[in-house]
Amino acid sequence: MQVGAISFSNLRMDSIEHYRTDLLSMLEKNKPKVAVLPAYSALYLGLGTGALKQGNNFFDTLSIYLSDPGTWDEEFLDLHASTAKYSGIYLAAGTVAERYEQKGGKDLYHTAYCFNPEGQFCGKQRQTHLTRTERELGFGRGEELEIFKLGSFKTGLIIGNDARHPEVGRMLALLGADLALCSSAIEAGFNCYEQAAGIWAQVQQNQFWAVEAQLNGNLAGTAFGAGSAVMGPCEITPGKSGYLARGYPDSSLVVAELDEDARRGIKRKYPLLSMLNPQAYKELLPERDYYARFI
Amino acid sequence: MLSFKFYFFNREGVKALALDGWKEKLFQRYLFWKCRPARLQKYLESVLPKPEQPGPVDQKKIRVAALQVEFKLFKSPFACIDEIHRRVLEAKEAGARLVVFPEYNNLPLLGMLPGIEKLGEQKEEEKNITAAEKNEKPEPGMADVFAFMSPITTSFVHTVFSNLASAYGLYIMAGSYAFLDSGNLVNRSYLYNPEGKLAGSQDKVHLLPVEEEWSLKRGSRFSVIDTSLGKLALPVCMDATYFETSRLLELAAAEIVLLPIANLEPYNYWLALRGLWPRVQESPLYGVKSALVGNVAGFTFTGRAGIFAPIELTAKRDGIMAEVETYDREAMAIADLDLQALRRLRQNHPWRDHNHRLYQRYFPGIYKEIMEDNL
Repeated sequence: MQVGAISFSNLRMDSIEHYRTDLLSMLEKNKPKVAVLPAYSALYLGLGTGALKQGNNFFDTLSIYLSDPGTWDEEFLDLHASTAKYSGIYLAAGTVAERYEQKGGKDLYHTAYCFNPEGQFCGKQRQTHLTRTERELGFGRGEELEIFKLGSFKTGLIIGNDARHPEVGRMLALLGADLALCSSAIEAGFNCYEQAAGIWAQVQQNQFWAVEAQLNGNLAGTAFGAGSAVMGPCEITPGKSGYLARGYPDSSLVVAELDEDARRGIKRKYPLLSMLNPQAYKELLPERDYYARFI
Repeated sequence: MLSFKFYFFNREGVKALALDGWKEKLFQRYLFWKCRPARLQKYLESVLPKPEQPGPVDQKKIRVAALQVEFKLFKSPFACIDEIHRRVLEAKEAGARLVVFPEYNNLPLLGMLPGIEKLGEQKEEEKNITAAEKNEKPEPGMADVFAFMSPITTSFVHTVFSNLASAYGLYIMAGSYAFLDSGNLVNRSYLYNPEGKLAGSQDKVHLLPVEEEWSLKRGSRFSVIDTSLGKLALPVCMDATYFETSRLLELAAAEIVLLPIANLEPYNYWLALRGLWPRVQESPLYGVKSALVGNVAGFTFTGRAGIFAPIELTAKRDGIMAEVETYDREAMAIADLDLQALRRLRQNHPWRDHNHRLYQRYFPGIYKEIMEDNL
């Protein structure tokens, strides 16, 4: 199965029409069966098209975005549902701010959505681990992990800071995930090691595939830029690097073919998950409340 | 990671029978006599200086040494002591307060077994032996050899490292050793303090398939050892493949993880990166990795000793404080650890979070199937 990660480089973001034209053209040219957009996709396009207002800085801009009633986000999701249908692909549309009304007020989540080739919603995931900044902005933590079928692949979505929390990858893997679609945005600069410490490390200790889309662009004065990538277990990738394909920050799209037979072969040969030793993890279990110690 | 079979040879280089015959028992007693504590002690007293009192510890600058040890076989325990002593002295002269040896550090002692160096030749011969012939000849495996050498190994380790630690006023992580403990084969690492006392030990918790074939007993918990250099932990090689190891150790307040490795595979940067480095990024810790390397009897160990830290604590934001250049020769990595900086990072971390409700929902249920399989 051909998969692709999109960085937003070289896509015109100044109008919905331009964006859609460029995105469809890219998808038509490269023909991935699955495409993933980066984190903050709705915010980035909203600012580009003028649908959202920019603040003095990134934090300020996010605050303004979160106070928006959410009509732009709905428009954004509709746009990508129709794009998935038009292209006949699975499209993980990056992330939007989910405003969840409930008794006592509105909860905010940083949420990723995926659409199937019929243009229907097929997967959703709220970010489960927040950075300090995200906590200050009022985001809540997702408390469930969703696994959904993407063709024959059991799939999960990983968002932003969840990449640095290996509990997420372990849970997805033990829930049966074959593939993780990751929407990320890392500040530009010397960040290749930060990236390796995230999804790459989760892939290696869980032996699933990952498609990681990294935002390349400027959000209210903060530059984001890391290389998008398609990853798999080291043993079945060129040079045993763990990367099937890896782009520079300004690469528009990174594509690769997933050889599921090869992945299953290495899982049989080197069954990492069956070599776990949960008897030794008693202290990690929630009833011991061990985690509470470090916050 | 070991995966080779071992055969015991007689003087003519012919494969011998099982290791529980009377000749082997007699030979085992002879080896133990050669490595008896009193004999080793006497030799150590002749070559080591008088015990040294360690100086005060600066928690902002704890110098540690990760040794890359080239695998050599020694026919004499004294030669083996000399080699270990040389490496400890090298670290001491570089200012280290803590010295770390690699996994399966008992392998050099197998040189006392006659014919061990012909192991590679025998591997070639083995290809021409039919299955029927093999069945006629009992073939002791590595587990048998480790069991056979257990009394020698334990006597050697405790005597030698205790004396070295006290002589130089150092903490020494002696590496890990495969030996029989109460009838169970274990892969255990040891830490000695500057008074020459055993400060702690750790059984390998995650075993390789080949170690499971050898019926090694895996550890059931991780330990943290409180020392004047901070809180230390001693997981072994494969333990660093799993985030659970470093997370448990971090939550148990460990600050420095000492990891011995012995990788029996061609060196590859990416494969090597999968161990300790990502673990100290996921759970903020310092990581000190020692490696057994070199080619003996047709078997090649590779690795790069190194000292790792959270990206936020390294100048180049690469998570590497020191790493040796070579993966197949003797070397040493040295770095100064700042425990206060680590504690500050943990207290004011920009991206760490925990999600109790999420863990409650999925743990321990997701481990259940594996737990049942392993019962």
